[in-house]
Parts: sequence; C-alpha cells; structure tokens
Amino acid sequence: MTKDKLKKEEPPHIHIGFDKNELMLKTFLMMSIIALASIIVMGLDALIHIMIALGTVLIVHSTIYSYQVWKDIEPTYRSPASPMVAGMIVGLAMPIAAPFEVTAGVALLTILGFKYGQGKYFKRKYLNPAAASKVILLLVLSLKTLNEGLLFHTHHIDLDLMTATGLQSSMWIFSRETLPIIGFDLSPAQSLFLWQTHGWIGGASSIVVLIVGAIAAYWLRYKWRIIVSTLVTMTILAAGMGIYLNGDPILRIAFHVFTGSLIFLAFFMATEPQSTPMTNYGQYMFGFFLASLTFGLQLLNVLGGSIIALVILNVFTDQFDKIVIKKPYGHKGVKK
Amino acid sequence: MTTPKHFEEKGRFQMDISMKMGAEKKPFKILKPPKKAIVFMQQHIGKCNLPTVNEGEKVITGQKIGDAEGKMTVPVHSPITGVVEGIRKVYHPVLNCPDTAVIIRQEGEEGLMPLPSFDLNDRNEIIELTREAGIVGMGGAAFPTHVKLACKGVDTFIVNAKESDPNLVCDVRLMIEKPREVVSGIKLMAKALGARRIVFATRTHKGELPELEKIMKEGGIEVKRVRPSYSVGSEKLLVEELLGREVPSGTFPPYIGVVVNNISTAYALYKAAHLKEPVISRGMSFYSDKNGIENVWFRTGTMVGEVLGSLGYDIRKFDRLIIGSLMMGWSIPSSETPLLKYSAGLTALSPEYPKPYEKQLPCIRCGYCDSVCPVDIYPSLIMKEDKEKDVKALRRLKVMDCIECGLCSYVCPSHIRLTKHLWGGKRKAKRP
Repeated sequence: MTKDKLKKEEPPHIHIGFDKNELMLKTFLMMSIIALASIIVMGLDALIHIMIALGTVLIVHSTIYSYQVWKDIEPTYRSPASPMVAGMIVGLAMPIAAPFEVTAGVALLTILGFKYGQGKYFKRKYLNPAAASKVILLLVLSLKTLNEGLLFHTHHIDLDLMTATGLQSSMWIFSRETLPIIGFDLSPAQSLFLWQTHGWIGGASSIVVLIVGAIAAYWLRYKWRIIVSTLVTMTILAAGMGIYLNGDPILRIAFHVFTGSLIFLAFFMATEPQSTPMTNYGQYMFGFFLASLTFGLQLLNVLGGSIIALVILNVFTDQFDKIVIKKPYGHKGVKK
Repeated sequence: MTTPKHFEEKGRFQMDISMKMGAEKKPFKILKPPKKAIVFMQQHIGKCNLPTVNEGEKVITGQKIGDAEGKMTVPVHSPITGVVEGIRKVYHPVLNCPDTAVIIRQEGEEGLMPLPSFDLNDRNEIIELTREAGIVGMGGAAFPTHVKLACKGVDTFIVNAKESDPNLVCDVRLMIEKPREVVSGIKLMAKALGARRIVFATRTHKGELPELEKIMKEGGIEVKRVRPSYSVGSEKLLVEELLGREVPSGTFPPYIGVVVNNISTAYALYKAAHLKEPVISRGMSFYSDKNGIENVWFRTGTMVGEVLGSLGYDIRKFDRLIIGSLMMGWSIPSSETPLLKYSAGLTALSPEYPKPYEKQLPCIRCGYCDSVCPVDIYPSLIMKEDKEKDVKALRRLKVMDCIECGLCSYVCPSHIRLTKHLWGGKRKAKRP
C-alpha cells in the first residue's frame, strides 16, 4: 500500500461559514444606517465627525497592517472590518459640539491604545476601546475644569436633575425642534425620541437606533440581555424618579433612556463582545448596574456618565461571569 | 424523502444537511470480504478483551476471537475465514493510540460459525445472546447493549432513528431495505427490557417509510416525529425531547426508566437471533466531497483503504479520511486503519475541501458557542479555564456535562475548535 499523506485532525470538520469579519462588516452596515439618520438630523458636522473617526482608524490600521505584512508578522486584523466598526463607534459616540480634532484624537487613542494596544499587551480587550478613549478625554476635561475651580463641566453646571422643575427647565435645549417636511413642532420628549440635534451623534434619532439596534441584535446575535436589562432598568429608575418627584415620568424616561449616550451605548457599545460578560445572569447584572450607575452619574451632573459607567463595569466583567451560571442539562430538576 | 436542507439548533443557528438529500435512496453496496482484517480487542466501552486465538491459528467467519470476564465486556468475532497472521498493537481510530488487534489473513472457503441457540422468549437468554453476538451501541457510542437490556424498571424503550449527523443516512437506508428485520430486533429488545412503551423516534415525515410505519403500527410501536435538529440526536436530549424527562447529570437514561437504542443495533440483534450471525458486518454511509454519499455494507476490520479501493476511489486524491461523521469523527493517520463494529460512517475529503479551523483567531467572546450549546454549558469560559488549568472552575462550569456534539466549534466566528478544550477540561475535571 502506498504511503499516505493524510492529515490528522480532530472533529468537527465543517463550519457554519460565518466568521468574525462578516460579523463586523454587518455591524458596520447596521451602524451606517444610524450614521445616515444622524447626518440627516444633525447635518454636515455629523458627517465630518464620522469621516474623521473612520479615516483616522483606517490610516492607523493600514499602517500597522502594512508594517506587519512587511515584517512577516501575522496581521492582528486581516480585514479592516473590525477597525472600521471601532471608528464608526467613535464617530457616533462623539457629541456633535465636540471640536473635530478631539474626534480625531479619540479615534487615534481608540485604535492605537485600546484596540491594538489592549490586544497586544493583555491578549484581550478588557475595556471597550471607544469608551476608554472617551474616558481619558473626559479625565483631561475634568482636570481642566477643576483647575478652573469648578466641580462640573460648564455645559452641565446649570443642570438640576434632582427636581422635577429642574429637569423641566433643562429641557429648553430639546424644545425648539421641528420635524421637517411635516413641519410638526416637537415637545422635548418627542424630540428625544425622534429628532434631536443636541448630544451624541449616534443618538440623533432614538427611534432609528431602537429599530436598527433591535434588528442588528437579532440578526447578529448581540448580547441582547445587556440591552434589555439596561433599557428596562433605566426606564424603571426614570419613571420611579419622575413619580417620586411629582414630575412628568414620560419626560424623565425620554431624557434618561433616549439621550444618545444611553440608547446608542446600550445597543452598540455595551454589547461589545470582548469587554462584556458571557453568562446570562452576568449580562442581566451588567445591564442593571450599567443603567443604575449611569442614572446616578447623570443625576450628579457628571459629564459622560454612561461612558464612565461602562468602563467601570468593563473592569468587573470577569466577576460578573462568576456570579451565577445557568443550570446545564442534567441539573435542572429530575422528573422520574 | 423530503429531508430538510437545514437542521435548526439552539440560538437560531442552522446546520446544512443538504448532503443527506436523496442519499437514503442509494442501496447498500455490499463489499467483498477483505483480504486482511484487523480486529481490535477493544470495540466497546468497558474492560478490554483478550485474544482467544493464537498466531497461526485458523479461524472461521463468526468465530469468537476475543473476550473477557466482567459485566462491561463484549466479545469480538472474526469477520472473515482465514489464518491469524499476528496479534499486535495497531493504531486505534477512536482510542487515538495503538491497541491490541488480531490480524487475520483471508484463506480457505468462506463459512460461518453460527451463534449458539438461545430461547427468544426468555429475557435472560436474549440478554445473553446480545452479549455473545458482540452487540454494542452501533450509532457510535459502543456501549455494551446487553448491559442496557439488563436494566430493570424500564418503562419506555426509545428507538433512535433520528440519525442526526449531517452526512450519515445508513440507518434510514436500513429502515427502507430491512423494515421487518429492524422491527423484529426492536421487539426483541423491548421483550428483554419489559418496557410497556416503545417509541420510534424518527426525523422522517408521515408516509415516507410506509412499510416500516405499517409494521410499527401492527407491533404497537409508537412513531414520534422529532424536529429536525442535530443535537436532539443525542441520547439524553432525545429523552427530554420525547418524554420531557431530564437524565440527571452523571447518570444514564435507565436511571429514569428509559433505554435508547438505535436502528443498526436493533438490526444486529435480529441477525444474531434469526440468522445466528454475530456482529461481523454492518452498514455505513461513505461520504466524499467529490461524489456525495454512498451506502456501503462492509465486514468489520476492513481497512479504510480497501473500502475506498472497492468503491473505485483513488486514495491519493484525499488528504483527510475520517471514521465517523463530519461533526464527530476523528481523521485517521493511515488508510490502513480498520473500521470498527460501531463505525457508522466514513468520510473522505479532498485537499480542496475547506479546512475551516486551520487559521483560528482569538476568541471575541461573542457568546455564539454558549447560545448554541444544547446542554447549556459555557464552552468559551471552559476554554479559558482549561487553558488556565483551573480544575475548580472547570467543575463549577459543569464541563462533565458536555456531550461533545461539536456545535460550539461549528458556530464559532473565530473558527476555534472549542471541542478540544472541552475534552481537555473533562480530563482535568475527572482527576481527583
């Protein structure tokens, strides 16, 4: 018999055919819909922010990729899909009022420090790259604010979310919106849900984020428990606060749930796979604490509360995975 | 038969089974007895047999050539008539290491040494016949069937005709070719078990196997159509799917009064009881990525290369030969590896066939493996703990409950063979 040249392999020998790059490309595609909605609502500035963020990550990625290929090192990312998602998240997570160079800086830090850097030095992303970069930016901003003798950022100093009238009077920023074509004047709550020109670019239209996010979560199997838990917890907390303060619970819910920082973050940042829990209970708990911490930080007028909350919780991801695990088959209860 | 194109798994994942389509229509090609047979002493779960023949001794087809004392032992028989060429260690495709085998060279006229007569109305005699015939779980588990049949307090006997692997159809083919014989074997098993209820679990649709279903009905066998899903083919999950009963961790279905056997096993019992033939041959599906599925009837101990040669294939055109299915079979290092009595499939893949796990990427913790896992464990976390050799964590994550179905690897977008870490985790968790 001829000498065989057979390969020894363990099972399985087939694969579903869906890979990481496809997951990233489809995520990018879904976020592009949100980006388009944001550009329609917020205008050219939104487009520039997104293009700056995407351009920055692509330049960095291409440079590193070319270097790795040149040096015969296995490229960290064979496809630009994952860096593109990071860039898109940075673009959509920036406030529309941010200077363009800040967006470029955050994108640079995201791709270089927290995407490539974390992977290289920690073998895994423990912190959400875009969120961690923004926290660093916030830290710099806070130091500057403290240096000026202020505890809170000037943009937030007048906000009073601890009272019903305080919230009501803070809503002036969302009260001058008119839905185009229809010409319908929007109340602050309606604006927060449909069409807001203030705040995070990715949250310009909460309804678009909700629809696109839900489709993406179903289609691409995001960690939906985090999304559900975050939004439900925030809704309950906001409604409870509204009722407790004899205010307008609907406005409270609209403000706390539909500001871009939460609605976009819940679907596309808090579900970032590597930095979030794997277990079912861990994900529910993660969402619960994310919403609770965000809510608390929002009430305290802390700038970027949701981002800070996300990064803090990222640190405890492995602990969440140890809390409770679902009972496997064989442990659910004997029926004899 | 209207085989669905996909199996539906947990987490909305689908498994392509288009290769099965129409394959059950292909009759078994009966291969000639091999010129040389390699018969392993270990072809069952349990204590290994010792050879009962010596080098140079003449043997007849069906003659017992290996046995051992003890409850969990099953003898092996010569699949051909000839001379014992040697007794030596040969690579075992399932144990994945060299193991004792009796090598027989074909010589003289083919004959059959029949099994002794047993009283088929006596439960104990059926059980004894099952052991003497060398019958094991022929779906791939190799669990001694007589041990299952000896279980007491069994109320339900499930015949697993689900045949879930994506490239196996030999059981369905057997149901088409030998319906009366299969049912006869099922009834013998039910008699030994004393089970009140016999459930025939099939993925076929109503009217697709009319003769078999008619015979089943006449024999009081309940036909249950199981949803098209790969994982439901697992013994424990099939029990839950059909009866809503959970088999507790660390136990087997008889613990809750259920016994599961498959079609080929039932047919083997028929042959033992009525043709007095021990397990020396069986049907299997041969799949090649070039020509699809063929159904083959072969003698146990036949070398893989000889099977391929008999079917007209050039072995040099393949770079992977797998004993078993695409999902659960291990590839073998040599075409001289023999087939076993529980080899339900043989798969040959050409160099052009994708090698999806060749370039694995780091885990992205997407949780797909956790979503698809039919027994609700966390393969990704187990992989981490296996790498860190944290035995306590592996036990906490219930690694021992893994059924090794391979679905976690199948869906992994980073193309990681998680199954490898589940085996590793099990080995570590087993240690005291």
